[in-house]
Amino acid sequence: MNAGSPILWLLEIASASFAGGVVGAISGLGGGIVIVPVLTIFMGVPINQAIGASIVSVIAVSSGAGSVYVKDRVTNVRIAMFLELSTAAGALVGAAALAPIIPARLLYILFGILLLLSLVPIFAKFGEELPENVTPDRMSRFLRLGDSYFDKRLNREIQYNVTGIPAALGIMFVAGIISGILGIGAGVVKVLAHEIAMKVPTKVSTATSNFMIGVTAAAAAGVYLRRGWVLPFLVVPVATAVLAGAMLGTIIMERLSNNMIRKIFAAALAIIGIQMLVHGLRGSL
Amino acid sequence: MSEPNGDRGLIIQNASALVLRIGVFSSAIVMLIGIAFSFRHGTADVARMRSDGFDINLRHMCIGIIHGRGKSIIEAGILMLVLTPIMRVAASMILFAFAERDWLYAAITLGVLILTLTGLLLL
Repeated sequence: MNAGSPILWLLEIASASFAGGVVGAISGLGGGIVIVPVLTIFMGVPINQAIGASIVSVIAVSSGAGSVYVKDRVTNVRIAMFLELSTAAGALVGAAALAPIIPARLLYILFGILLLLSLVPIFAKFGEELPENVTPDRMSRFLRLGDSYFDKRLNREIQYNVTGIPAALGIMFVAGIISGILGIGAGVVKVLAHEIAMKVPTKVSTATSNFMIGVTAAAAAGVYLRRGWVLPFLVVPVATAVLAGAMLGTIIMERLSNNMIRKIFAAALAIIGIQMLVHGLRGSL
Repeated sequence: MSEPNGDRGLIIQNASALVLRIGVFSSAIVMLIGIAFSFRHGTADVARMRSDGFDINLRHMCIGIIHGRGKSIIEAGILMLVLTPIMRVAASMILFAFAERDWLYAAITLGVLILTLTGLLLL
């Protein structure tokens, strides 16, 4: 496309990535949803290199936004640590044992359908600001997962309980398998596990997902680095701009209502679901 | 403010935030320095930027950095960025164990660290 000025090329990529960072930090999805389509469709970058840049930039969003959310205590570090165990195990099983057996296209189709179906329980929660009457289950009490955060929009401390740990563990294991086979962060499944199975407030859910995707992406980055799919000169504008976008995203996110964040997440969910489905059916994005 | 977990966890949260902040901003600065070097040496053109892949060889990277090669400096910045979340997990594990004596979570975090490093190195 642009064979001219390298500075112009860098700036074009940086501006798209900045938007990706804002969306990524608010939704807890990392921003690959914006970066990968823009790089492949508008900038003519091959899909593998686009995902390579996206994985590195997800680490930037996760770390940059994470440093704010953790300090503001919106992130639930215990939930993150505990569930990361399940995701990391799933990623290993997926990459080492299942990737050679399961055709990636079939997985894209199944994943796409799964995401579109999960819009139903998300729609059911529209209008709800905070989850109510959540009774912690035994594992949740044993692991001391319940906590509180200060909601900047409601301007008060919110106490919350956590439930549905066995279901969440299963969902996170599947999220890990998907990451391991497809090489994507699967932040979308993480938010679903927090929101639907564990019933934590949406802000805690997206902040905790954001915190976890960095670790998953770091583990997946090894493959992309070794295969030469990470282009250093492409990563600089993507990663630095996405970081700046993510820092702005944290300021916006903490001041939005839980319900609004859920709507943004639902829109992202629909887009990713359709992308996956089309990718699986056509064999390309 | 009443905390279900009291002050427990506060040290870990502050330490995690610090590790993430230092890691992500220092790697971004290193990457930008790398780009500046590429432009100064006139090695930056779009065709090359679109095709020149990451070289995983650490020796090449070190030699490149000594010679002020922009691409090697950027590669070092990318490695720093990839290692940032892993450093965060390692820091939490040490603090769960020695600052909070929370052996349950120290063990959980150790498990995450082992699985993640296995993934990064083997896959």
